Amino acid sequence: MNILIAGVNKSYGDFVALDNINVSLPTGQLTALLGPSGGGKSTLLRIIAGLESADSGSVEIEGIDATKLPPQKRNVGFVFQHYAVFKHMTVAKNVAFGLEIRKRPKAEVKTKVAELLELVHLSQFAHRLPSQLSGGQRQRLALARALAVEPNVLLLDEPFGALDAKVRKELRDWLRRLHDEVHVTTVFVTHDQEEALEVADEIVVINEGRIEQVGTPDQLYDEPANDFVMGFLGEVTRLGPFRLRPHDIELSTTPGAPGVLSGVIERSLRVGFEVRLAVDVEGQGEPALVVLSRTHARALDLEVGTRVWLRPTAGATSVPVLEVASA
Amino acid sequence: MTQTLVASPPPARPAGRGPGRAGRPGRRGRGSAANGGLFRLTPTSGLGLGVALVWFSVLVMLPLAAVIGAAAEGGWASFWGTLTDAQTFAALRLTVVEAFLVTVVNAFVGTVVAWVLVRDHFWGKRVLDVVIDIPFALPTIVAGLVLLSLWGPDSPVGVNIVNTREGIFLALLFVTLPFVVRTVQPVLIELDADVEEAAASLGASRFTTFRRVILPSLVPAIAAGSSLGFARAISEFGSLVLISGNTPYQTEVASLKILKFLEGDNQAGAAAVAVLLLLVAVVTIVALDLISRRVARRG
Repeated sequence: MNILIAGVNKSYGDFVALDNINVSLPTGQLTALLGPSGGGKSTLLRIIAGLESADSGSVEIEGIDATKLPPQKRNVGFVFQHYAVFKHMTVAKNVAFGLEIRKRPKAEVKTKVAELLELVHLSQFAHRLPSQLSGGQRQRLALARALAVEPNVLLLDEPFGALDAKVRKELRDWLRRLHDEVHVTTVFVTHDQEEALEVADEIVVINEGRIEQVGTPDQLYDEPANDFVMGFLGEVTRLGPFRLRPHDIELSTTPGAPGVLSGVIERSLRVGFEVRLAVDVEGQGEPALVVLSRTHARALDLEVGTRVWLRPTAGATSVPVLEVASA
Repeated sequence: MTQTLVASPPPARPAGRGPGRAGRPGRRGRGSAANGGLFRLTPTSGLGLGVALVWFSVLVMLPLAAVIGAAAEGGWASFWGTLTDAQTFAALRLTVVEAFLVTVVNAFVGTVVAWVLVRDHFWGKRVLDVVIDIPFALPTIVAGLVLLSLWGPDSPVGVNIVNTREGIFLALLFVTLPFVVRTVQPVLIELDADVEEAAASLGASRFTTFRRVILPSLVPAIAAGSSLGFARAISEFGSLVLISGNTPYQTEVASLKILKFLEGDNQAGAAAVAVLLLLVAVVTIVALDLISRRVARRG
């Protein structure tokens, strides 16, 4: 019981949007499709919803072959980046839309709508028009409308992409909590790795129409399958023959164990609680980026021009630098 | 005028439904004047308002007042007598009924044409998009001539519509064709595709989506185009001069009746018909506006 995608291909003219995608998205989980813009993740989501059709391959939702089903018959809820609310209907009417189409009894519709508006904290706005709501409220309305038809799968296409940073973060936490309450199989598309790491149970990294890696946030962060996944999930720098995260570099002001590389601090930048150093390492073209806490940096008395010695911390995630990948 | 505007008390909140949050008037409809502060005019906006009002008065309000004055000259009895005269009444009835029918057809066909022009892709679409405007651009007498050359006494297809009500109907359709198309088209272009996709994923069929989601968005534009078309239809003159034949009780329309009154040196009679046409136009425009707002709100 899940979403099963097998051998899906999709091209727009010469552009290959999806290249032989095979993936199984587990039931009841919150899965993120993560990747850069134009990587094909939205196309995959729209194919699951039936809003696009695959050139080849099949889509199975909860054991039913949905490849040829129109969107109306798939019983999926879809939430769009730009809300796509019905502007001429009140908030309550928007939520009731799917139920009215299904010809549910009036009383039942009313109860269900009230329930959902409660769930998304919009009860007091039931008789407003969408134009009287903020962006975050509109997106919650869109979510309630999608949930009203009790979909097998809830699909969200960059749901927080059009919102400002603060609201985005609030809604993200709220979506996580909502999912823990409602437990509907949910797939959402995002290009924001922080959003995916924070909200998702499982992440599918998609780039240039192909799946790079599938795994839990921890797996992806700690054991990236390749350079791309490593680079996309967080900041990456180079130290000698490895690529690793800037906070996984140990810095000392005295030469120590074998294997350390020496360098000179080229730039220093303080951002809030952390200090970011660019270190010109001997025998390396690009400077290594090191991130320390403010207190640590102060204790070591670091400034531009100080000679330092660097090495990866024990257990650091690193991947070897490919010879072609020189900056 | 400015004085009275400034002095008028701030009106109540617009008739928006639901509890509008304080300081945030409903953005819908004509609510823009909700705030008392909006009536305070800066010197430049005062000048702008002055120019607009003078312009409007000289060009529109004063002539309208004059024609109403002319109609009232002979007194109520003469006014009423003119309008209830059997021949005049027949002309007025023919005009209004034909204009109404033409409007209904236009509302439907115009929407379909706009839909085809926006949603479908076919060879020659750009050409058709330009051709739509020809009835707009042509002097109406030329429009009459155009129709006459195909459907006239020398018709190459053997159909003569001159001096028939069908002819009037056709001529009115011709000259009012672009109105609904041109008002609906931009609205249709602006419609978000994802709204329709949302309706589809909620289980709505294509027809239901059209009826409950697309049409309510189009109704204001359809109504606006229809009222323009209707106003044009009841006032049409040029094309009908050649087509209608102007037979009393049969094919005589109001605008030509006015001409006849004037030729017979009956200023008051002409003005009476003119005032009635004005009244019909105003009532229609207001009615269509009300309908469109109700429909657009209800969905």
